[in-house]
Parts: sequence; C-alpha cells; structure tokens
Amino acid sequence: MAQPGLEKRTKTKVEDSSSLKGTLASVFLLGFFLIITWVGVFLLFLNRF
Amino acid sequence: MNAFTEKVNKIDRRDAKLGMAHFYVAFIGLFLGGMAGLLQTLVRSGQFTLPAGIGYYQLLTLHGVVLALVMTTFFIMGFQFMAVSRTAGTLTNKQRKTAWVGFWLMTIGTVMAAVMILLSEASVLYTFYAPLQAHALFYVGLTLVIVGSWTGGGAIIMAYVGWRKKHPGQPSPLLTFMALVNTLMWIVATIGVASTVLFQLLPWSLGLVERVDVAISRTLFWYFGHPLVYFWLLPAYMAWYVIVPKIIGGKIFSDSLARLSFILFLLFSIPVGLHHQLVEPGIDPAWKFLQVILTFMVIVPSLMTAFSLFATFETFGRSQGATGLFGWLKKLPWGDARFLIPFIGMLSFIPGGAGGIINASNQMNQVVHNTIWVTGHFHLTVATAVILTFFGISYWLIPHLTGRILTKAMNKLAILQGILWAIGMTFMSGAMHAAGLLGAPRRSAFSEYGGAAQAAEWIPYQIAQAVGGSILFIAIILVIYIFINLAFFAPKGEEEFPVGEAANTAEKAPMILENWKLWLGIVVLLIAFAYTIPFIDLIENAPIGSKGYKLW
Repeated sequence: MAQPGLEKRTKTKVEDSSSLKGTLASVFLLGFFLIITWVGVFLLFLNRF
Repeated sequence: MNAFTEKVNKIDRRDAKLGMAHFYVAFIGLFLGGMAGLLQTLVRSGQFTLPAGIGYYQLLTLHGVVLALVMTTFFIMGFQFMAVSRTAGTLTNKQRKTAWVGFWLMTIGTVMAAVMILLSEASVLYTFYAPLQAHALFYVGLTLVIVGSWTGGGAIIMAYVGWRKKHPGQPSPLLTFMALVNTLMWIVATIGVASTVLFQLLPWSLGLVERVDVAISRTLFWYFGHPLVYFWLLPAYMAWYVIVPKIIGGKIFSDSLARLSFILFLLFSIPVGLHHQLVEPGIDPAWKFLQVILTFMVIVPSLMTAFSLFATFETFGRSQGATGLFGWLKKLPWGDARFLIPFIGMLSFIPGGAGGIINASNQMNQVVHNTIWVTGHFHLTVATAVILTFFGISYWLIPHLTGRILTKAMNKLAILQGILWAIGMTFMSGAMHAAGLLGAPRRSAFSEYGGAAQAAEWIPYQIAQAVGGSILFIAIILVIYIFINLAFFAPKGEEEFPVGEAANTAEKAPMILENWKLWLGIVVLLIAFAYTIPFIDLIENAPIGSKGYKLW
C-alpha cells in the first residue's frame, strides 16, 4: 500500500555552523559604504573646482 | 578555575594603584575638556557669549590639549600598563618605579600647560602651530608630558623584554605584544613633535631666536600628528580584538591576523603626515602623492580588523545556534555595557574611516580642508570610536582595580550613557559634516560673519551642534558619576579582566612578527624615504622665518 507520507521528501537545510557568509556580506556592505561616500564627495569636488 | 590561575588573573594591588593614578587624571581631564566643549558649541550657535573675559580660542585650546593630548595619553598609558601586568605578569619593582616617574613627569607637565592656557598665555590650539606663540612654560609642560610618556613606555618595553627572556622561542601574550607595538610607534612618532618643540618653539618663545620656520615646524608636527591618531586607536583595537571576544563569550578570530594588523599600523602610520598638509605650499606635490599612497596602505589593517570582528561575532552567534545571513547579530549580548559601548564605537568608526579616506584624497581635501567637516570627522573617530571603547574598558577595569563590581544599576546607566553619546554625536558630528560641506570653517569664533548670506546657511547646523554638544555633556556627567561609583562606592567584589583566547589555539603566531630589528628597520626606511627629500627641500628653500604672534 502506498504510503504518501514517505514519498514526501523533506528538505532539511543544514547550515554550516562555521559559515562566514554574514561576514562576507558585512564587509561588502562596508566596502560599498566607503565607495558611495567617497564618490559623493568626489562629485562635489568635480562640481566646485 | 583553580586558585593559582585566579590569583594570576587578578592585577597586583601595587600595579592597580599605578593604573588608577592614570585614570584619575584622565577622568578629571574628561570633565574639564568636556565642559570647554559644551561652552564652545553654545558660543558657535550664536546664542551665547562667554562671561568673564574667557576667550573662545582659550577654551578651544583647553578642549583640544586636555582631551586629545592629556586625557587620551593618561588613559592609554594606564590601560597598557594594566594589559601588560595582566598578561605578562606583575611589573617588577624597577618597572613600576619607572612607570611612576613617567606618571609624575606627565602630571607636572599637564598642570604647567593647563595653567598657562587658563592664564590666557597659550591660546594656540592643540596643534600649537607657529607663528602663534605661547608662553615658554606651555612648551616645557608639553615636553614633560612627552618625556613622561617615553619613561612610561620604557617600563612597557622592559616588561616585554623581561617576558621574552623568561619564555625563549614563544610569542609574547597578545595584549602585551599590542601594547609594545603602540609604545614603539609612539616613541618613533613623538621624536617629531619633541624636535619642533625643543629646537624651534621653545628657543623662539624664550626669545633666544627671533624667528621660526613655520613650514618645518608644521611638517614636524604632522610627522607626529597622524601617528597620534593611531596611538589613540590601537588601544581601542586591543579591546576590540582581545577583550570584546571574551566578553561576548566567543573567541579571537585569529591571533596572527591581529598581530599582523598591528605590525602594519607600526609600518604605515608614521610616513603619512603630509596628507594633513595637502594644501600647504613649500612641499613638492610628488611627495604629497607618495604619502597619500602610504596613507591608503593604513586602510588595509583597519579593513582586516573589520573583517576579523565581523567573523568573531558571526562565529559566536552561529555557535549559539544562529542561522541566516545576519541571525548572529541577535545572539550578541546587547544588555552588557562592556560590549555595547565599544560596539557603538566600532559602528561609528565606519563613517569615521570613510571620512578619513575622503580627507586624505588629494582633490577632495580641497573640498573639506579647514572646514568643520574635519572637526566632525575626528569627533567620530577619537571622540566616539576611541572614547566609547575607553569608557567600555573603564566599566570593568576600574572595578577590577578597586576590588569592586559593576552593579546591574550601573550597567543600565552605562548603557544609557552610551546611547546618549550616540544620539548627541549623531547630531553634533552629523551637523559638522554637513556644514563643512557647505563651507563652514573650523576653528572660528564667529557665527554670523557680519550677516553674510552664506554664513546664514550654516546657523541651523550650528544650533544642531549645540543640541548635540549639550546631550554629550549630559553623557559625560553620567560617565563621571559611574567612574566615581566604581572607584569609591560600588559593592566590594571581583570584576573580571576579560582576555580572549584565539579560536585556533594550535596555531602559533609566527616568530617573525616579534623581530623588532626587522620591523623597526622597515619603519626607519619608510620614514627616510617619505621625509628626507621633503625636509631637504624645506631647509634649502627656507624663507626668513616668522616672528611670534599672540592674536588672542
């Protein structure tokens, strides 16, 4: 007899506890922030001088 | 933990006294300097006039000298002695005696300089640029502060050498290593300011020589002035790398990475002073360009630090079961002032660092030079990132030294203090950055400039600065209250001196990182490369020099 419950594949995501993907995302955000502020003031410079 | 390690982990009572002596001076300085700061923002709002003949520039000098030079140096020396005593063992009698001599030299020097400022004999601002001329005793006082810090630095070097002799072939304890790097950098850097004070400013203020070479004196000042900011920052980094991981219950991401970043600071923080002089005549742009490149090298160890801290936090959060991209943030101990206050400091260093990169970029320096943007910048770096970390350190170190504890009530008050600081500084520094981009000058007592239309645009920002400054002063009063409580009134008990362990204890730090002949050799080479020809140019093309001016 078919047991439908058994056929359902339950995907259990096992997250690697040593993952540093949050760190990767954080340093990217930090880098973007540095670039945006720098470019912002550079545009001011171009407009003024 | 057995009785023996508990005993080792507690700082010796005699060393504790040495530490507390430094902290008393530092916190008295904080109060005086903070009060001067409050009055300045009120004057600059255009709504308040100083009473009793007090000058704006006199206050500004007091604020800068007492906070940027005195309060920081005393706190840093005290903290570094305690870090060395905790990790490399109790100081020997000789080391402690040397440290005390340094403390008294610094204290006498501080009093001399402060009295001269209060007598209105030295309103030359904390950079004491020639041709503004102060009373000779002001320069003598500053010299004593520096010589005292060298003497204290000597005690740290002696303690390090003593530890290495007892433990051949082993890397030194991380905090001791870091304190040593900062001490070495400080000694090399202060040679510049000592030279200009002893050979130029002092003889000139005594009337032994009539004229002074302004460009050389400023170049010597900035040879010292930029590493000065790293002298402030590195003790904060010591706490971020080593102490904060232990407070949250995590591990240091990598011991070797932390050491390498400190070595990079030693190498690249000194030959960069010309980026403070980008708009000054008399220095070839090619050398300015070279030093701008070297300045950008210093970004590397700061980015390494940012990475390492994110990794420490994430690793800890995941070990506590955090999932998702940023789930680890929720696991951090937000209710613990020992963590939260330095963490606010770390956050503020992100815009602080971004502003620093802008300041050091040659073209953009023309947008912000001598505007109040710069003041906003260093109030994020030293007056938030660094000082909040120092407060965070105080909240466990003071009770550790006095045999008391940080109670829950004080912890709450400390958190309130940190939040008030963040709010006040957002107003004040944010307004300074914005007004600076609109052209508002720094170091100016004027607000309305005779009703000029452009100056009218700056007024709302200056009022925001006064609001922020007032909130900050309330935070300072809270800090002083907590300090007095922890020093004299908190319940007796044992407060931990947290020292983190590396995640991978099997990884031994490479011994090359302790090869001081190599690193100091590179330091000397880099300085010689960056500064020799600019100085030859300045000396060869020296003008007649300037007489002294007292414009206050």
